[in-house]
Amino acid sequence: MRARLVVRTLSELCVTAGTLIVLLVVYVLYWTGVRADHAMDGAIDRLQDQWSAGPVAQPPATGDGTTGSTPPAHGGGDRAAAPPARGGDRPHTTGAAPGAYRDGRAFAVMYIPRFGSGWTKPVLQGTGTDVLKKGLGHYDRTAPLGAVGNFAVAGHRRTYGDPFKDVPELRPGDAVVLTDGTTWYTYRVDREPYRTRPEDIGVIDPVPAASGFRGPGRYLTLTTCEPEWGHSHRLIVWARLEATRPVSDGRPGALSG
Amino acid sequence: MYGWIWRHLPGNAWVRALISLVLVLAIVYALFQYVFPWAEPLLPFNDVTVDNGMAVSR
Repeated sequence: MRARLVVRTLSELCVTAGTLIVLLVVYVLYWTGVRADHAMDGAIDRLQDQWSAGPVAQPPATGDGTTGSTPPAHGGGDRAAAPPARGGDRPHTTGAAPGAYRDGRAFAVMYIPRFGSGWTKPVLQGTGTDVLKKGLGHYDRTAPLGAVGNFAVAGHRRTYGDPFKDVPELRPGDAVVLTDGTTWYTYRVDREPYRTRPEDIGVIDPVPAASGFRGPGRYLTLTTCEPEWGHSHRLIVWARLEATRPVSDGRPGALSG
Repeated sequence: MYGWIWRHLPGNAWVRALISLVLVLAIVYALFQYVFPWAEPLLPFNDVTVDNGMAVSR
């Protein structure tokens, strides 16, 4: 009688443990995605409401930040990115100074046509665990969007909506398009994804040594984990700014293709 | 274990079944709301940054 009780209790514990594991798998594979997609859609909706409600609040910047350095649109075509480091020229961004983004808040939307036309994700400030549950994270202390330097963004490859699941598919020439409500920024991927060690923080330097970029420029870096379900390495993609375009001129060519 | 719980629930079989269902749902809710969000960062799917979420050399 005693042995029967022990065996039964043991079996019940095993069944319970199995159920817990199944529930955890459901949580990780499915529920984090549901929550993240909901949060990301909400963030994009809020940004678009905010942008359509009125002019985007300009972070404190010099007066000519927007008007002076953005020449009138001619012909509606994408304007080629100004060469960087042109005798003290201010970045022709909308004047976002480093630190102007609020921690944990979405400030831009990213589009990567290679990942599908429906792929749109918000970019939030910061790369903490909680931030990355709600979208892509912009590394503190890297350059603001469109500015000279390196605009570095991290995202989950798996779980939490799998935003960067297809990063290995990116190839040179692929577009990475971002908007901050006033300007479209079209970056072009420069080389195939680069695999590196987790502690290799040089990849988000203003001019990453391994990227092949020489000299300052307006760069973008995407980081995610490698291998797909592991954390032994990181996968890095570098891109350089090809063109900017005022939002009032409509979507850039890279998105309509 | 489960037999012991069942024997200690009040009411007839239907009431016990109802209470069991509520208990199971409450446990699943607690797992998804509190336990798994705590446990999930311990799994290796969160390490997507090159500086582990810290600002470089802060």
